[in-house]
Amino acid sequence: MNATAGSGTSTGAQTRPFGAEPHSRLKVEQISYAYSATDRSAPKFILGPVTFEAQQRELVAILGPNASGKSTLLKLLAGVVKPLSGRVEVDGAEVGGLDLRTRAQKIALVQQESELLFPLRVWEYVLQGRYPYGRRLRFESDEDCLMAGNALAQVGADALRDRWMEQLSGGEKQRVILARALSQQPSLLLLDEPTQHLDIGGKVELLRRLRKLADENRYTVVVVTHELNLAAEFSDRIVLLQKGKCLRIGTPAQVYQRDLLEEVFEAPLEVELRVTGRPRVILRGSH
Amino acid sequence: MKPLTPGRILAVCGLLLAVLFVVVVISLRMGAYPISISEIVMTLFRGVSGQREQIPSEFWLVVFGLRLPRIALGILVGAALSTAGAGFQALLRNPLADPYVLGVSSGAALGAIVSLVIAPHVPGLIQIAAFAGAAATITAVYFLGRRGGQLDSPTLLLAGIVSASFLSAIIMFLMTTLSGRDIRGMAFWLMGDLSSPAAIDLRWLYFILLVVLGSIYTTSSDLNLILTGEQEARHLGVNVKRVKLVVYIGASVLTGLAVSVSGAIGYVGLLVPHVMRMLFGTDYRLLIPASALGGAIAIVIADTLARTVVAPTELPVGAMTALAGAPVFIYLMRRKVR
Amino acid sequence: MRRRRIFLCAAIFCAVYGKAASAASLRQSSATKPGSARVVTDETGRRVTIPLDVKRVVTLAPNLTETIYALGLEERLAGDTDYCDTPPAAKLKPHVGGAQNPSLEAIVALHPDLVLATTSINRIETVDGLAKVGVAVYTTDPQTVRGMLESTAHIADMMGAEEQGSALVAKLQARLDAVSARLADVPPVHALFVVWEDPLITIGQNTFIADAMRWAGVESVILSQQKWPHISFEEVVRLQPEYIVFASDHAGFGAEELGALRSREAWKQLRAVELGHIAVISEEINRPSPGLVDAIEQLAREVHPEVFRAAENGKVKMENGQGAREMARADFGSREPLGLKPRAFEGSDMSRLKPRPTSLLTLQWAAEFGAPASMTSMRPDSTAEIVTGAHLRAAL
Repeated sequence: MNATAGSGTSTGAQTRPFGAEPHSRLKVEQISYAYSATDRSAPKFILGPVTFEAQQRELVAILGPNASGKSTLLKLLAGVVKPLSGRVEVDGAEVGGLDLRTRAQKIALVQQESELLFPLRVWEYVLQGRYPYGRRLRFESDEDCLMAGNALAQVGADALRDRWMEQLSGGEKQRVILARALSQQPSLLLLDEPTQHLDIGGKVELLRRLRKLADENRYTVVVVTHELNLAAEFSDRIVLLQKGKCLRIGTPAQVYQRDLLEEVFEAPLEVELRVTGRPRVILRGSH
Repeated sequence: MKPLTPGRILAVCGLLLAVLFVVVVISLRMGAYPISISEIVMTLFRGVSGQREQIPSEFWLVVFGLRLPRIALGILVGAALSTAGAGFQALLRNPLADPYVLGVSSGAALGAIVSLVIAPHVPGLIQIAAFAGAAATITAVYFLGRRGGQLDSPTLLLAGIVSASFLSAIIMFLMTTLSGRDIRGMAFWLMGDLSSPAAIDLRWLYFILLVVLGSIYTTSSDLNLILTGEQEARHLGVNVKRVKLVVYIGASVLTGLAVSVSGAIGYVGLLVPHVMRMLFGTDYRLLIPASALGGAIAIVIADTLARTVVAPTELPVGAMTALAGAPVFIYLMRRKVR
Repeated sequence: MRRRRIFLCAAIFCAVYGKAASAASLRQSSATKPGSARVVTDETGRRVTIPLDVKRVVTLAPNLTETIYALGLEERLAGDTDYCDTPPAAKLKPHVGGAQNPSLEAIVALHPDLVLATTSINRIETVDGLAKVGVAVYTTDPQTVRGMLESTAHIADMMGAEEQGSALVAKLQARLDAVSARLADVPPVHALFVVWEDPLITIGQNTFIADAMRWAGVESVILSQQKWPHISFEEVVRLQPEYIVFASDHAGFGAEELGALRSREAWKQLRAVELGHIAVISEEINRPSPGLVDAIEQLAREVHPEVFRAAENGKVKMENGQGAREMARADFGSREPLGLKPRAFEGSDMSRLKPRPTSLLTLQWAAEFGAPASMTSMRPDSTAEIVTGAHLRAAL
């Protein structure tokens, strides 16, 4: 059960309803997007329509070859980009209609981080995630510190608290960035290719952690990734895209069909079903 | 986990104010006219309490007429330049940014030269023209530095550097065609000089300083976030477009103000924020007031040295800041590299 | 709440400073009794209130210092700049700093009744700064030689020395008229005045130097409306001026430098260099002060030798206790001897002694002082020194 105290809920004003939730955590309805080089030329890229739903405790993976629109879809979910048609709803509220502050309280987006210009301590960095909850000049309250501490604990980075950001390893930094996102107390946690610069151990660790966060702390996690097998292992739902079209949405076992995968990824692939019920993808002819 | 508290900000500001006060008193003491500290304190006290008649007229002249206005001007300029420097360093995401990198000082210099060509004898015109030149440059660079409807840091930096070079070229052209007398005035102005009194009443200038400083300060927590990444800041709910605009205009106005009354004093806007960061951390909620006070202290010290080291000749204060600034800069660079 | 606190602190600060600043706005400084001062308009159009009795004056430029000494008012000179060295006695006066960056405080500390400045050297910021603290500053703006004479008269007037002023101006005017008279029928010599060699900078038509040169019968060969035009050497070669004129500064543009210049390839192309038509005159040519007239006379003599040769270059018989000797005669145009004994005077060689004397080892030389009575005396204890080929400094 939920052993971590205070995770995901808090006393005071920033409480999320605990218990039965009338809405789906995340609801994507016929979302579509088009992008053209200039205003007048024909759209170079079209995404969608995509429709799916996700609840709390679910981990959704968005897969597809390069330039299939994965990041764009993620940005649509985050509300960073306005869709051409359709809606994205988080906790029943349409994302496009939210003001910046409320949106930041509901949705946390983790991207490739920029270079830090000036030295910063880990706790300072994580505390910045509390920005959406502050007043104008924003001096952090005790509650903010508590939340940030919880976030660090949730990612197992408590020991890194007083370290300098620039001294962290790749994996440690990844955890700290995740902690900052978590201190936003979001309903929806979005990650754009978070495993890119990590070694295999780091990749597994991150996905495990995300799974744990979803299970124990009731986040809804949506991850864009290239890691077919990790996605299969850890996610509840897969959204498969190719060139902007949503080809299939379902459980890993449902989506990982050999013909489909070979066509999408244009590689000789073989799909094995393991005893756990999760599929595994390997290159053909490499037993 | 010890986040910044208002108490700490006040404590640091109190400390810096105390240092500033001491520096000001020492500076009031220095000068060609012999006057002791007790006489200074008496003059100050009687002046503020309205007993002007009891002060010997020469004490009055020296303290309130010569030294104090100059010190007050120095405080204004130091605070303006340092705050602008800190602001630009955040806006442009570049630790090497100084208040002049966007061409504001070149625009002001051009305004000053043009006023010398047209009407060299009108007192105070050079300062007004300099500010007009600065304002024009701020506007031009703003429009050049936009991308996708908002200020884009690399584009802005490029626009500023190009403008600065272009304006400097025009200035050089004008200076070779000007007569000797006009160039003479410019030489001091280009180095940064506090010996000429401000054309506008100092009270107005201080008012503008405080208003602009205040508005930049309201974005200080936003700046902290922007410094860790613009996109991330946006996702956390920062109105990045608005913050950039406020900081751009505010820091440019401060620079234009400082430059039009004292010329282009160098190094202060670049180095004071870095030193304050080393001492008090990178949080802009503390850094902005600390930089302002630190800059004031630095300029008052530099100007006091400038007018006393080779007395009675007065050096331009920019010469002092350059002399001291270069070694400090090298020291800071080496510490960073470590 | 916090914001309100900040605003409150700011308001208090403003109030305190506002009080101090308004209290500090200065009206006329020293209490002036009615009738003890008058208002004059200086040469830049500024109205200045000057006490009727100017006891202490501070000069901010070398030419102004020279003028004060020439008017015989040096006892009232309370201070001058670091660069005021003509006459040498001026170096001993208290200094207020450079001409362009003097210390306002040092000036105020000398309690001057009047400060003299000039547009040719001083910055308007200095004048503004002094005016703002209530010090009377009179700025001269000499654009021509005549303007210089007028300035001299104005200064004398303000200091209550009208007689000395008119006398000095009359004398200077007389000398100038004498030179003009001799040059009346002579066409002007076209010369290049070199301000700086590299880059080559000369003077424009509307400058003070150009006007001074005109009095000496010399026209600048460069027709430019700028003050200090940069010109290319080719332009000079094309124009082939008859004379090249240099002004010697204290560092001494002496025989060596001249030799070096003449041997340079580029300069050899100039006919003037070939013919040796290079004039090195005193730097006073650029200084609007009484010493300027010396420089004009010197230049006129160098450039129009045939006009001024007259009965010179002859020999003269001098007598002293040791008998009579025939000595080469050199005419030195000079100002009055200055100061107390030992008296010093400076003069320029108006004759065309050939060869030009480069040293004067003799201890015997005669000084002939003009009408009404001419005195001849040989003073064995006098010293003399040739500074350049045509300039003599002597102490009698």
